[in-house]
Amino acid sequence: MTPKQILSNIKVLDFTHALAGPTTTRLMAEMGADIIKVELAPRGDMTRAMAYYKNGRSAYFVQQNRGKKSLCVDMREPESVEILKKLIAQSDVLLENYTPGVIADMGLGWDVAHEINPDLIYCSISAFGQTGPLSHLPGFDYMGQAYAGVTSLMGEADDAPVMPTISMGDVNTGVHALAAINGALFYRSQGGGGQRIDCSLLDSYFHCHDLNVQLYSNTDGQKQLTRNGRHHPAVAPDGIYRGRDSCMFVIAVTVKQWQALCQTMGRPELLEDPRFKSNADRLANIDELIEVIEGWITSMPSDDAAREALEAARVPVAPVLSPGEAMQHPHHIERGTIRTINDRVLGEFQVPGMPLRFSECSDSLNLEAPFLGEHNASILRERLAMSDDEINELSERQILIEEAIPA
Amino acid sequence: MTTKHILSNIKVLDFTHAVAGPTSTRLMAEMGADIIKVELAPTGDMIRGMPYFKDGRSGYYVQQNRGKKSLCLDMRKPEALNILKKLVAQSDILLENFTPGVIADMGLSWDVVHEINPELIYCSISAFGQTGPLSKLPGYDYMGQAYAGVTSLIGDPEDGPMMPMLAMGDVNTGVHATAAIGMALFHRSQGGGGQYIDCSLLDSYFHCQDMNVQLCSNTNGEVQPSRNGRHHPAVAPDGIFKGKDSYMFVIALTPKQWRGVCEVVGRPELFDDPRYATFGDRAAHLPEIVKLIEDWIVSMPSDDAAREALEAAYVPVAPVLTPAQAMEHPHLIERGTVRTISDRGLGEFQIPGMPLRFSKFTDLLPLQAPYLGEHNESVLRERLEMSDEEIMQLTENEVLVAEAIPA
Repeated sequence: MTPKQILSNIKVLDFTHALAGPTTTRLMAEMGADIIKVELAPRGDMTRAMAYYKNGRSAYFVQQNRGKKSLCVDMREPESVEILKKLIAQSDVLLENYTPGVIADMGLGWDVAHEINPDLIYCSISAFGQTGPLSHLPGFDYMGQAYAGVTSLMGEADDAPVMPTISMGDVNTGVHALAAINGALFYRSQGGGGQRIDCSLLDSYFHCHDLNVQLYSNTDGQKQLTRNGRHHPAVAPDGIYRGRDSCMFVIAVTVKQWQALCQTMGRPELLEDPRFKSNADRLANIDELIEVIEGWITSMPSDDAAREALEAARVPVAPVLSPGEAMQHPHHIERGTIRTINDRVLGEFQVPGMPLRFSECSDSLNLEAPFLGEHNASILRERLAMSDDEINELSERQILIEEAIPA
Repeated sequence: MTTKHILSNIKVLDFTHAVAGPTSTRLMAEMGADIIKVELAPTGDMIRGMPYFKDGRSGYYVQQNRGKKSLCLDMRKPEALNILKKLVAQSDILLENFTPGVIADMGLSWDVVHEINPELIYCSISAFGQTGPLSKLPGYDYMGQAYAGVTSLIGDPEDGPMMPMLAMGDVNTGVHATAAIGMALFHRSQGGGGQYIDCSLLDSYFHCQDMNVQLCSNTNGEVQPSRNGRHHPAVAPDGIFKGKDSYMFVIALTPKQWRGVCEVVGRPELFDDPRYATFGDRAAHLPEIVKLIEDWIVSMPSDDAAREALEAAYVPVAPVLTPAQAMEHPHLIERGTVRTISDRGLGEFQIPGMPLRFSKFTDLLPLQAPYLGEHNESVLRERLEMSDEEIMQLTENEVLVAEAIPA
């Protein structure tokens, strides 16, 4: 039978919190999976307390947790572990992103879960991975970034490195986890059974070294890329150029692109200029090259006019937009790269769009983010066939926790 | 039937070049897929011309294309198109990352291919996507990054933005594509048939906006996230701190982590100081926080000793390593985050490890990168049952192109 959405028949037990793990299950929710988000009493996911807030509701939490059910339990009570074991027995995928060892201490490690349900796919996400000398350390996005050699590649050559004010690594680690889980789901559909996936921020960041690792290794350390401010150290022009009131990337690395750039600037003679003839010449005279290009941009009626002239000549160019400017760009709006969602407390606001675009199942689902423990009763009733009396007793003993839902 | 590896029975027809697309098929090769890389005569994938080189062999190409077969043909000759259509008929997945419209002009658009093989999953990767006003523009990683509002978040606030020296977006767009393809494969295994996937650098970069978009939207643009050099603008300590001879990230957001910092630096009374009560209060006193921590770091016997003291207190900390330092770190080596491969032309060198770790497949496959057109004959003989004479004629007519393989 063909499912209505890609993951319509898939049950997920989601122990993740913060950013990387919830990104994976957020994407699975967009594809129709049935997701129970297990939150620890008393407060649940720490991002419920992260800005922006309105009436105690976090828009950051809403963005990351639409389409999930919330089950909030006190893990210090043995009944909670029993409930979760019963849910493991009927789940397809389990995710967790505690510091390695913590979920095993709770009594729900891979060995236990695999014994209960051999077809379960069990994905752990952590800063440094489940093994190795760093594995026990706590870490945020930036720790993985720094250890992977990525942070060192941002900033001025003669000054300290800088940090991006965006957790790219968390989101991309979540996507790495999703890719691995999908591989495991497909493998299981061919009769392969369940397995464990060990996903980490450090692995995902280090995976992003496109050029650097092989270059350093093959030259026995003679060549390595280092941070270089606004301009690439090995090719030119490839960098950020200042206009009158904005900055733009201009990259002209092929012969054709360099010719087009010189023609567009009205400077065809530069093609024969010994200072700029080859890439090596242009690198050797980078300051003069920057002066030529920035001089031309600021000679144009506007930065937009300069960009459009380069676009017409098919020279790769892009304005350096702020997130706010990107949110208003017609291309992003038309494609749903930015989209508007609706929350019961926050009302309408914008979040990044669904980045996985399928020709089948293309309609965006109407997803809601849960209040803490909102689905305690329905999960125990529908999944575990518990009676109202049993559920009430668990609530009274504060094994189950739920916040009030505003009217 | 259980396959030997995750994608052992999956046939991929790979028209991608450069970084993003080949990253996706590189991951599939690691999972055992049978991949034919279609390269256009005369020179094939442009990164065969990118450093490091030894005897004309590119380390960058090898890193990105291990485990793929090379079929090199001249698309201007009609026989080439016929060969590719026959291969389309027997493939499970097709990937391409030409500028939108180019592969349709070659005669292999989604409509044509879907008609030939309704079960085929067809994934297009581009800078800006297949639709929308920017879709026709050429673009590299940095163009997607700039349009997604990411570049604007890197650098000092009073100065221009800076570019990171690695193509993170290309690699992560490849991972996004792998995740989407894995979903479509799983969907197909449930009877869902083939479908089209539209993947872009811009979508993948914008997807990384963890906090910024919802914050900007909910405050109607009053809060505009921006670059802030070495320290996060809204929370502290969360930034890059200078030691005697290196830099390190220190992040202490929870009360427990902040208490850890106060105790480690020998100022336990600061934990109860109302000026520093929350991470927001501390951000408002950032210069004092920076001085407190940097003075303490340089008072220690070494930067390593400072880092180890913070680690012992469970405060998230990480040294800002260069890629070269990361490659020598025992944790990355032990986990295979950096690994050594062997190429017929280049010998042994290091590349980033396989970031998708499956418990059922812990042994990595011994993959080789192809020489240009290396598998022309074997693909046509084994896949299309062509005779030696037919193949020789195609070679003589220069429909097929191959480079010599060094002895």
